[in-house]
Amino acid sequence: MSGSLGTATTVRPPGSDSDLGERSAAQQRTKTPYEWPARAFSLPAVLLVALLLYLPFVWTTYISFTDYNGLGSPVWVGLSNYRDMVSDSVFLTAVGNTLLWVVGSITLPVALGLLIAVLTYGRRFGTLIRLPFLIPYAVSGVAVGVIWGFVLQTQGALGQVLEFLNLPGASTRWLLEGPLNTFIMIGAASWQIVGVNALLFVIGLQSIPREPVEAARLDGATGWTMFRCIVWPQMRALTTVVIGLSIVASLKTFDIVWIMTQGGPGRVSETLALTMYRETFVLSDYGQGAAIAVFLSVVTFAASIIYLRRQLSGRATS
Amino acid sequence: MKMRHSVAAVAAASAMLLAACGGSSDDTAGGSVDSLKFYNDKAAWKPQFEEVSKVSQDEIGLALEPVGYSEANQYAAFIRSSFRTKEKPDLFTWHTGKELEDLVRQGLVAETTSLWDKAIADGDVPEDLREYFTVDGKQYCVPLQAGYWVMFYNKRIFDQEGITPPSTWAQLEAIAERLKGAGVTPFHQTNVLFTFSWFQTLLTGSDPELYEALSTGEAKYTDPGVVSVMDKWRAMLDKGYFSDPGSKTDPQVMLKNGDVAMINMGTWFNGNLKSVGMEIDKDYGMFVIPNVDPSLATRPMVVEAGPVCTAADATHREEAERYSAWWFTPPAQTAWANARGELSFNPRAEVSDETLASLSDEINKGDYRLMNRYFEAAPVPVLTAALDGFGAFVTKPGDPMPVLKEVQAAADAYWAEQG
Repeated sequence: MSGSLGTATTVRPPGSDSDLGERSAAQQRTKTPYEWPARAFSLPAVLLVALLLYLPFVWTTYISFTDYNGLGSPVWVGLSNYRDMVSDSVFLTAVGNTLLWVVGSITLPVALGLLIAVLTYGRRFGTLIRLPFLIPYAVSGVAVGVIWGFVLQTQGALGQVLEFLNLPGASTRWLLEGPLNTFIMIGAASWQIVGVNALLFVIGLQSIPREPVEAARLDGATGWTMFRCIVWPQMRALTTVVIGLSIVASLKTFDIVWIMTQGGPGRVSETLALTMYRETFVLSDYGQGAAIAVFLSVVTFAASIIYLRRQLSGRATS
Repeated sequence: MKMRHSVAAVAAASAMLLAACGGSSDDTAGGSVDSLKFYNDKAAWKPQFEEVSKVSQDEIGLALEPVGYSEANQYAAFIRSSFRTKEKPDLFTWHTGKELEDLVRQGLVAETTSLWDKAIADGDVPEDLREYFTVDGKQYCVPLQAGYWVMFYNKRIFDQEGITPPSTWAQLEAIAERLKGAGVTPFHQTNVLFTFSWFQTLLTGSDPELYEALSTGEAKYTDPGVVSVMDKWRAMLDKGYFSDPGSKTDPQVMLKNGDVAMINMGTWFNGNLKSVGMEIDKDYGMFVIPNVDPSLATRPMVVEAGPVCTAADATHREEAERYSAWWFTPPAQTAWANARGELSFNPRAEVSDETLASLSDEINKGDYRLMNRYFEAAPVPVLTAALDGFGAFVTKPGDPMPVLKEVQAAADAYWAEQG
């Protein structure tokens, strides 16, 4: 019994009129009897996170300041890899292509996903209409690249269909001209992802309370006005998530480009993730590859933070 | 009491973690073995490796356990990282040239000079091959195979058009013109990876010295000889002699379907043709590509000799060296060449296919100058720039100078670094 009295200060109900600073200090002083074992049991998880997440990032950052070919020991070269990186014209092309992917991935799959969701939600057979858009998501990125590669190669399936129908563009070199090939690949990637975005937007639509919609309807709002003034503002949180995920996914675009063009011809369709891969695993220039990896991580992190901050602060003031 | 519990909990947690991360120490134990793991980037060749393994088991009591990778870059990264672990590879495929030099400079590969001396003395390997496995005067690794670059042709198309294999470059060009007139694409090309094939064919056939000087940094890609070769290549492209460079169809399928009449490739391509049901002499044939310049004293023959190496600190180094020594011998090479359906570097190997055997005889006895394949001859950064540049060039033929300048810039950077 005396033990439970001894810990009485820690179980004081919230909202009591005691001084908060004093209570906080008391909490710090008073340890629960299971605190150390609890910390010990969390140790494996903490170690695993440190080992698998923090350590590789720290190691990659260190390697980015060295000259290292995967053999022997890294040699410290300071900012040399970063200087080489920004002065390389291929890197600048990759930055440009990656930006195209970001813009394309936000406009096409997000806009189309929203359109499909809005047009089919609440309609008869809406689920059935949405289902075909979801099927490509079950296919891996590599398989999508292979399929579209066969369709879009010069004189491929698309070319043959156009030729059969006597339509122009039968001999267009879809994957051999830049930046056309990047636009085409963004289209192929959108084909895969648009169904999932539509599904997420449908979930958003389902979560909108009926009352404001009915109130707006009584006020005479329909169609575009209803969507713009009532539906869209209430889907903002979900849209933030969908766009945020799209930004991050597009910044690290790799598989579909690697399969369809390998970044070519002449490195014209390379993205930053591809440049990083080539420097590291094709050229065995681990230092240069690590510098691009760090750059890409910083850009992805910064883009996510800036975007989310803007959205959240906008929401707070609205 | 609390402290004791905490210590016990930490110990238990650490033990769990160690148990999860640790491996069996038996995995890396040394000692005598009757089989060796053979890491390679030729996963599709597993059945052939296993066929040879049966022969080696009978002959020297050592079997092969092939561990194949399909993705070359992933494989190279794996091998590089394996040198930082306790279990260094006993046998592994690698590349000659700069890639091999990288390993040798770090002291990671076992020397094989004595094996080469004996094999050459026994007549089991041509002396010419030795230089590709030499770093600072010593030999490392042994050749997995020697692929000679020849022209494969679709026999049905040749027979239909009444064409026989050419013996001069002018005849080859005449054949290309005739095939084009008949609506058949004469030659295969690609804008990914094997973009160097025609550069290699045209340059070795025009100026073999210049080809070798390029690989050592003594000549420049912007030299008139190289520009002239690129111009010739462009003229052939403009004439429509080549297939669509972006085609996703496998070259063996294209040859089988008659989408192209000819493909210049290493003799290992026989295995690819076999895999799509083509029979040598019945469905396809091979001929030695004539020199572009007929006045050359010798006929250059491009050879690719992929090495099999042993780590200097390999767990079973003694057995691996025994296997490497055996690999040179006629029984090994007979088994290997017949399993793969291709040539062997060993002139004493008994190749069962008559066409392959006669081609082997011709190369071994004829007046050929063996030249290292461009893929191995060029240092990796130069090769990468060239593969990209050539890929762009065949996709959009035009002035070759921008491509050559870009490759030369990569070469300048590389050779400056080498001092």
